[in-house]
Amino acid sequence: MPEAPLVLAASTAPPKRRRAAAPALVIFGMAWLMLMLAVAVLADVIAPYAYTALDLRNRLSPPILFGGTWIHPLGTDELGRDVLSRLIYSIRTSLLIAFGATIIGAAVGTSLGFLAAHFRGLVEQAVLALVDFSASLPFLILALAVLAFFGNSLGLLVCLLGLHAWERYARIARGLALAAGAQGYAAAVRGLGASPWRIYGRHVLPNIASTLIVSMTLAFPEVILLESGLSFLGLGVQPPETSLGSMVGYGREYLTRAPWILLTPASVIVLTTLSVSLIGDWLRDGLDPTLR
Amino acid sequence: MLRFIASRLARAALTIAMVVTFAFIVLRLSGDPAQIIMGADAPPEAVDAFRTAWGLDEPIWVQYFSYFWAILQGDLGRSMRDGRDAIVLVTERIPATLALTLPALAIKICLGIPAGIYAALHRNSLADRVVMIIAVAGFTVPSFVLGLLLVLLFAVQLGWLPSGGQESWRHGILPVITLGLGGAAVLARFTRSAMLEVLGQPFIRTASAKGVPWHAVVTGHALPNAAIPTVTIIGFMVGSLIAGAVVVESVFSWPGVGRLLVVAVANRDLAVVQCILLLVAITMVCANLIVDLLYGLLDPRLRAAPGKAA
Amino acid sequence: MKPGGALLEAEGLVRRYAMRRGIMGRAVEVRAVDGVSLKLERGRTLGLVGESGCGKSTTGRLVLGMETPDAGRVSFEGATMPQPGSAAWRKLRARMQMVFQDPLGALDRRLPIATQVAEPLDIHNIGAVSERAARVEALLRAVGLRPDQGALYPHELSGGQRQRAVLARALATDPALLVCDEPISALDVSIQAQVMNLLLDLQEQFGTSMLFVSHDLRAVRQVSHRVAVMYLGRIVEEGEPDAVLHDPAHPYTRALVSAIPHPGRMGQRMVLQGDPPNPADRPSGCAFHPRCPVANSLCAREAPVLKPRADGRLIACHVAHGEVAAGHGFTGQEAA
Ligand SMILES: Nc1ncnc2c1ncn2[C@@H]1O[C@H](COP(=O)(O)OP(=O)(O)OP(=O)(O)O)[C@@H](O)[C@H]1O
Ligand code: SF4
Ligand SMILES: [Mg+2]
Repeated sequence: MPEAPLVLAASTAPPKRRRAAAPALVIFGMAWLMLMLAVAVLADVIAPYAYTALDLRNRLSPPILFGGTWIHPLGTDELGRDVLSRLIYSIRTSLLIAFGATIIGAAVGTSLGFLAAHFRGLVEQAVLALVDFSASLPFLILALAVLAFFGNSLGLLVCLLGLHAWERYARIARGLALAAGAQGYAAAVRGLGASPWRIYGRHVLPNIASTLIVSMTLAFPEVILLESGLSFLGLGVQPPETSLGSMVGYGREYLTRAPWILLTPASVIVLTTLSVSLIGDWLRDGLDPTLR
Repeated sequence: MLRFIASRLARAALTIAMVVTFAFIVLRLSGDPAQIIMGADAPPEAVDAFRTAWGLDEPIWVQYFSYFWAILQGDLGRSMRDGRDAIVLVTERIPATLALTLPALAIKICLGIPAGIYAALHRNSLADRVVMIIAVAGFTVPSFVLGLLLVLLFAVQLGWLPSGGQESWRHGILPVITLGLGGAAVLARFTRSAMLEVLGQPFIRTASAKGVPWHAVVTGHALPNAAIPTVTIIGFMVGSLIAGAVVVESVFSWPGVGRLLVVAVANRDLAVVQCILLLVAITMVCANLIVDLLYGLLDPRLRAAPGKAA
Repeated sequence: MKPGGALLEAEGLVRRYAMRRGIMGRAVEVRAVDGVSLKLERGRTLGLVGESGCGKSTTGRLVLGMETPDAGRVSFEGATMPQPGSAAWRKLRARMQMVFQDPLGALDRRLPIATQVAEPLDIHNIGAVSERAARVEALLRAVGLRPDQGALYPHELSGGQRQRAVLARALATDPALLVCDEPISALDVSIQAQVMNLLLDLQEQFGTSMLFVSHDLRAVRQVSHRVAVMYLGRIVEEGEPDAVLHDPAHPYTRALVSAIPHPGRMGQRMVLQGDPPNPADRPSGCAFHPRCPVANSLCAREAPVLKPRADGRLIACHVAHGEVAAGHGFTGQEAA
C-alpha cells in the first residue's frame, strides 16, 4: 500500500464520487497551512533573532506598516524582543502541541474504540462510561482542573490536550469496527484465523483511516484554540517558552500602547484554525458524508 | 416512561460519581494531598494533624468512601487562600457569571437558530454563504481574540464602552456580545446541518410529493426532527452556564466563577477547583438529563418503544 | 455412497440471543437455534434449508465454532471445538472455512484480490513465501478467474467473480470443511448455476465436505448428499434430497416443496398460512402448529421429537409418524 490512505480511499470506494476541484478557500487554507508548517520546521533558520533576545534600545517599536523600521519588521514588545521571531517560535510550539495532541487523541481514542468493539461486554461498558464522562464535562474545565492538580509542564499539556476529542475517535472506531465485524470483511478475516492485531491493524484501521483523518482535521483547530486559550490564561505554555496564545496574553497588557504585539499572533491563530477547518469541512463533505 | 427516567437518573448519578472519583484519583496522583492542601511551607506537625483529621493514614478505599461521604454532605473543603468554605466562595460568584451567560444564551438562541434554519432552507444562496462564512469565522476566532478586538474598537478607539470590570450594566455589554456571537455561530452551523440532514430524508420528500404545502412540511416535519440534535447542543450550552465564561471573564476582568477558577488553578487552590469541577459536572449532568427527557417528548419512536416491548 | 466417516458432529446445539427492542425496551430472548444435531461425513455435502430467520446462518456459525453454543457441543475430526479466538481455534481455521452470502462485504475493498487470496497462506504460514504467488495463481485458475484478475480490487469484479474470489480464498488452506451460507442468493440466476457447478467441481477435486445453507430447495438438492429442513431453530426433517423432494413427509417441507414453481403443477400449490414465525415468541408444542394445515390438538401441547421413520428418514411430526390422525389445523379455527 504505497499510496496515502486518503488517495486510496477516494480511488477505490465503490460508488465513485466525483472529486470536485478544491474551492478557492480550501486552496488558500492549504497554502496557509503549508506556510505555517514550513515556518515551524524552519524556525531556527528563518527567525531573525532568538525569541528571548532583548533589544532594550528598540522597546515597543511599531511594525513597518505603523511606521516602524526593517530592523524589527513586526515591531518589538516591552522588553524589545522581536515580535516576528517570537511569532515564528510560537507557531512552532503551537503546531507541535496541536499535532502531538491530535495524534495522541486519535491513537488513544481509536485503541479504546477497538478494544470496546473487540471485547464487548464489560470492557465496552467501561469505555462507553468513560465516553459519557468526558462528554459531560466541558473540556476546558477538565483541563484546568488537571493543571491545578498536577502543575504545568509541556509534556503534560500535550497529553492533556490529547485527551480532547478522544471520545469522538473512540465512538467512530468502535462503530465502524462493529459494523465491519458483524458480517463484513473483519468477520471474514477472523474466520481465516487472523490474529486481532492483523484484523485491526491490517484491515480495519486502513479501512476507517479516511474517516479518522477527517475527524483529526476537524479536531486539530479545536486543539489549537484550547492551547491558545490556556496559554492566554497563563496556564498553558509557560515562559520562557512562547506560544501563540501566550503571546496574545502577554500582548493584552499593551493593548492600547502596542496593539501589534497582540494582533499578529491573534491573526495567525485565526487564519490557521480557519484554514484547517475549511480543509476539514471540505474533506468531510467529499470523503465522508456520514460524519457531521 | 418511568423506566426511562429511572435509567437516565441512574446514569446521571453514575457520571457524577465518576467525576468525584476522578477528582479523588487526580488528587491522590498529584502528590500528598495533605502537603498540597496545607501548602509546602506548613510545619510537619500541622500536616500530620491534617492527615489524621482527614483520615489520610487510613487504607485508600476507606479514604475514598469518607471523601465521597464528605462531598455528599456538602463538605467541599476550604480555600487555602482565605480559609473560607470553597462552596461559599464559589456560590457567591455565580450571580455575576449568570449575568453574562444568561443574556449570552439568549443571543445564541435568538441569533443562531433562525440563521441556521434560514441558511438551510435557502441552501447555496448568497444568504447561506454569508451565514456560513460568519459561522465558520465565529468558530475559528477564539473568544479572547474577539473580546480583545471588541475592546480595542469600542473601548480604546471609540471610547463608547468600558473595557473591563463590573461596575454598571454597561460593563457587561462587551462580554455578553463576545460570548453570544461565538455561541451563535456554533449553533447556526449546527442547526443548518441538522436541518439539511432532515430535509434530505425520504419522509420529507414523500410529504412534499404528496402535495403537503412546503411551509407545512417545514414546520410540521422538518423543524421538529431537526430540533432533536439541536436540543443536545443547547443542553450543552445550558450546562455551561456556570463555567462557560472562563476565558471571557478573564478578558474583561469580570469577577465570576470562571475568573475564580483561573485564579484558583494558578494558585493551586485545590478545594476551590474541585468544588467548581463538581458544580459544573452537576449542572452539565442535569442539563443532559433534561435534554434526554426532552428527547422523549420530541422523538415519538423513543416514547413508543417501551410500550411496544412491554 | 462412498464411505467417509464423520468429519463433523454437532449435538443438541442451542444458541440464544438477547434482543432489545428500542433503546430502553426489555431484552427479549430469542432462541435462534434450539437443539440442532447434525453429522457431516468426509467429502459429502449436507444441505440446510428453511425460511429466513429460522437459524440457518446461526447453525453455520456454531458448527464452524465462530460462536459458542449455549448448550450442546461440536466436534470436528473427533476433537471438541476450541474456544473462539484462542490460538488453537485460529489454527483450526485452516481446516474449516466459510463462504458468505455477500461476497463484496466479505472482501476487504482496499486490498487487491490476489493479496486477499494469499492472506490465509500468510496467516497460517503455509508454503514458502516465494511459492505463494504461484499458489494464488493456481487457486484463481481453479475457481475460474484469470491470474491477472488478481490485481483487481473487489469492486472491479462482477458479483460472480467476487464469489469466486471468496471461494479461492476459502480454499487456499485446503480446508476439510466448507460452510457455504447462501453462496448464490446474491447472484444473478445465470451466474448461480456457474457457481453451483464450480462448487461441485471443487468438491470432486479437493474432496471438501460442505454444509450448504440455502432457502432454495432446488439448489440444495443439486449439490447435497443429504438435506435437513429447519423451522424455528430446529430440524424438522432430514433425508436424501431426492426422496425429500419427491415425497416430503413433514407438512412444512411439503409447503416448501409445493412452493417451488413447477410447470404444469400450478393448481396444487399449497400456500403457508398464518404469520411467519417469530423466534422470540415460539408457539407451544410443535412450533409449526399455528400454520400447519393438518395440526391436531396434540400438536399445540406437545413438541414432536425428531426420530427416524421406518425408511430411515428423520421427521419431527406427530401426524407423519402416525401418532395421531391428521387434524384440520388451527389457522381456520382462529379466524372463526
Ligand atoms: N447476533 C445476533 N443477535 C441477535 N439476534 C440474532 C443474531 N443473529 C441472529 N439473530 C436472530 O436469530 C434468528 C436466526 O437468525 P439466522 O441469521 O440464523 O437466520 P437465517 O436462517 O440464516 O435467516 P436468513 O435466511 O435470513 O439468513 C433471527 O431471528 C435473528 O434475528
Ligand atoms: S402435524 Fe402437528 S406436529 Fe406435525 S407439523 Fe403439523 S403441527 Fe407440527
Ligand atoms: Mg442467513
